[in-house]
Amino acid sequence: MNLIALASVLFGIGLLGVLVRRDIVAVLASIEVMLGGATVLLVGLGVSVRGASVSIEGIALMVVVVIAAEAAVALALLVAVARRMHTTRIDDLTEVKG
Amino acid sequence: MSVSVSTLLFWGLALLALVGALAVVFAVDVMRMALGLGAFFLAVAGFFAYYGFGFLALAELFVYVGGVLVLILFAIMLVHRGREGGPVLESRWSVASVLAAIVVTGALTIALMPITEFFRQDTTFIVPSELSTLLLRTMLPQFEAIGVLLLAALAAVVVIMGGDRE
Repeated sequence: MNLIALASVLFGIGLLGVLVRRDIVAVLASIEVMLGGATVLLVGLGVSVRGASVSIEGIALMVVVVIAAEAAVALALLVAVARRMHTTRIDDLTEVKG
Repeated sequence: MSVSVSTLLFWGLALLALVGALAVVFAVDVMRMALGLGAFFLAVAGFFAYYGFGFLALAELFVYVGGVLVLILFAIMLVHRGREGGPVLESRWSVASVLAAIVVTGALTIALMPITEFFRQDTTFIVPSELSTLLLRTMLPQFEAIGVLLLAALAAVVVIMGGDRE
C-alpha cells in the first residue's frame, strides 16, 4: 500500500514537471522521475511475488538500461536543438522541419 | 510503539525520493534541479538495495548517478553557457496541469490498490550468480536485444551530434 502510494505520487510529481516546465532539460529530468517511480514499483512488486525475484531483477536491469539509452538520445537531441535554435525553451520550438 | 529499522529505512528513502522529485519540479536554479535529480536517483538505488537487489542498486548508481546525471550536467553546461546571471528554469503553472497530475496520481493509486493482496513482507537477497545464470541462459535473447539497443542508441547519438555540423 505504502509503495503503491509512493510510486503513484512520484509519477504524479514527474507528470506535473512535464506539464509545467518550459525548459527541455527540466522536462527530461521530470520524465526520469516518472520512470524512476515506475521502476521502484516494479521492483517492489517483484519482491512481493513469490519465486519471481530473480526474474524481476533481470527485467528491472533491462528497464534501467533502456531508460539510460533513452536519456542519452534525448540529451543528444537537446544539445543538437540548442546549438541550432539557440534556445531550450519549449515555447520557442514550435516548428518541425521535414 | 516501536518502529522497526526497516520501516524507518523505507520512509527515509521515500522522503529523499520525494524531496529530490520536488526539487526537479520546483527548483529555479539548474544546478539545484540536477542536485535534486541526483538525490532522487540515490533514493531509487536505495530502494533497490532495500528490496534485496544489490546488483541492481549498484547498476543504478553507476548508470544514473555516474552516467546520466553527469551527462545532464554536461548538457546543462553546453546549453546554458554564456548567459548573464546564471541559467534560470521557467515554469508555467496552470490549474489544469496541477489537476491532471492529481487525477493521474489518484487514478494510479486506486487502479493499483488490488495488487496489495499479493504482497508479502519478507524479502529475499539474490546472489549475483543467480542473476548471471538468468541473463546468460533463460533471458539470453532479451539480454542480446538490450545490447543491440544500446549500440543503436550510441549510433543515434553519434548521428544526431554529427548532423549538427554544417
